[in-house]
Amino acid sequence: MHRLFWKIFLSFWAALILFAGSAMLTASHYLEQARLENVAMSPRARLLSHVSDAQRIAERDGVDGLKAWLNEIDRREPVPLFLLDRNGTDLLGRPLPLGIAERLAREAMHAGRGPVGARLRLEIRLPDDTEYRLIADYQGVTLGRVLDRPHVVALPLILAALVSGLVCFLLARYLTAPLGRLRRATEAYAAGDLSARVAPTLGTRKDEVADLAHAFDHMAQRLQELMASQRQLLSDVSHELRSPLARLQVALGLARQRVAGQADAEFDRIEHEAERVNDLIGQLLSLAKLEASVAPATREPVDLAELLASIASDADYEARASRRRVAIERSEPAVIRGEARLLHSALENIVRNAVRYTPENTSVTLSLERDRGKPDSWRIVIRDQGPGVPEAMLPRLFEPFVRVGDARDRASGGYGLGLAIAQKAVRLHGGEVTALNEPAGGFCVVVTLPSALTHT
Amino acid sequence: MNHILLADDDAELTEMLTQYLVAEGFDVDSAPDGETALSMARSGAFDLMVLDVMMPRKNGFDVLRDLRAQSLMPVLMLTARDEDVDSIVGLELGADDYLPKPCNPRVLVARIRAILRRAGPVPDTDGIDTPQTLTLGDLEMHTGTRRVLCGGQPLAMTSTEYSVLEVLLREAGHVVSKVDLSERALGRKLTRYDRSLDMHVSSLRKKLGSLPGDEERIKTVRGVGYQYTRS
Repeated sequence: MHRLFWKIFLSFWAALILFAGSAMLTASHYLEQARLENVAMSPRARLLSHVSDAQRIAERDGVDGLKAWLNEIDRREPVPLFLLDRNGTDLLGRPLPLGIAERLAREAMHAGRGPVGARLRLEIRLPDDTEYRLIADYQGVTLGRVLDRPHVVALPLILAALVSGLVCFLLARYLTAPLGRLRRATEAYAAGDLSARVAPTLGTRKDEVADLAHAFDHMAQRLQELMASQRQLLSDVSHELRSPLARLQVALGLARQRVAGQADAEFDRIEHEAERVNDLIGQLLSLAKLEASVAPATREPVDLAELLASIASDADYEARASRRRVAIERSEPAVIRGEARLLHSALENIVRNAVRYTPENTSVTLSLERDRGKPDSWRIVIRDQGPGVPEAMLPRLFEPFVRVGDARDRASGGYGLGLAIAQKAVRLHGGEVTALNEPAGGFCVVVTLPSALTHT
Repeated sequence: MNHILLADDDAELTEMLTQYLVAEGFDVDSAPDGETALSMARSGAFDLMVLDVMMPRKNGFDVLRDLRAQSLMPVLMLTARDEDVDSIVGLELGADDYLPKPCNPRVLVARIRAILRRAGPVPDTDGIDTPQTLTLGDLEMHTGTRRVLCGGQPLAMTSTEYSVLEVLLREAGHVVSKVDLSERALGRKLTRYDRSLDMHVSSLRKKLGSLPGDEERIKTVRGVGYQYTRS
């Protein structure tokens, strides 16, 4: 049930116990070794052996040799050793611990009975007759000194660190690997691959992460079904609307035949409106189709410059009727792979939208150039002289049926689907569409398209 | 009077369309499903079939495929407006033309007339000054009887394929732009992303094979049009 909970709980517990255990093992190991050394050689004998070493070195290398020897011994031995001259000053100039100083003072008081160490002959005599006494400060064995001398405890500690590190590493990987898969699936899902699932990649795992994966898959499944049914509904409704529309058109044709010449204006109007309904249905269907696809249907070479030129010339021809112009400002040869028809309708929708908003006697300008930020992308800018869009509306501009100004938009004949279709089509080609208000006035839509399709 | 077969399962639409076409001077019969349409078409009593793709008991594509196995009867496909694939499939199967549905009946009549004009008897068959035979290499075209012989073997082709080939042959050695070819062979203006010509040319290539020496008979001149190779 709560397998992961117990895994984390037990792993951490085990790691901590392991570490504490090895620390204790290390300590006992050290003590054991110390005891063994004591058995093999009593502290007194050890001291005597140090003294004879020191005497030999003093005779050979003098005071300097003695200093070096003392330094080295001090580094190795957990028990602090001092070499004191007759005045009680350490050879290395270290301050004397309080216990030693008191002992020396007691000795001085009972000088008559002779120094304590004297019985043990702990004196080292230098060639120049100066004498030093070796004194061991057994109370000075602190944990700090033990840890400062790593050779004593290094191996067990390193082992403990390695083992507990391995435990934690495995645990962390065990925890995060499925999360990575979950993230990738979520990203794929967000990118439109509604068939992305996680559970099959987790094998036989049964814990909270697997539960999460199953919950994700369940949600994904539900969403996919909902999306599919919504799309199906939209598609069905649109198709169903087509049948009465087809009949309407034929009925209209019959009516025209019957009363030839009469009410032509009204018939034209009916025909025009029927055509608009037909267009709207067409747009709805193509939007639904675009939303369902993850890649363009074909990847033929598309010459963007040629495409833009033909859109510009068509749009310019239409725009002249309302005293507006469409002009290409800058263009260069640019060939990408994709679905020409889709790209055409995407760019055409954006250009038509711009023509709708640019005031009379102004132009919509188009430019095509390499994207400076991404050299393997093309950047198409469609700029109009219109009033722009309230900043708050900018991000929503590409949603279906979002209108900036209701009355004006309707009057100019937009359905509110053009930009949504454009965005979907461009994204399908791995590109992006953004809209922004020009600081100097006017509004522009920027389309970036990668020259090679990178995603699947 | 031209006899049209209307194959569509929408009874109300068929009824009105029949009235419309009759008023335009056609003789019309209708079939409510694919099976019926196929057996009526096979009777040979019709000059042209208007074939809807979405039909019960055998869809339009299957009807066309079965029909083409034995007949070159002109067929105008009615395809779903947003399924570009449908039109390509239809043309590949040998439809003479296609029209997205719903369509304006005036446009439908214009398309029917254009196809019938291509398929019908050449108006000036007994004209003395028009050449009766076009010959180029191993290809022989009898414009009077609308027969094409390739290396002495007769080739079966739809009237639309014949028209496309005729235009290309008359202009052999020259590039015929798609705009021109569409107007002269299909009798209508070229629209953007209309793949009809490409499909007709591709089926012509398949039927004609390549020239001796493996040269393509009909060359594509990218961005312009087509050219029949004059060797």
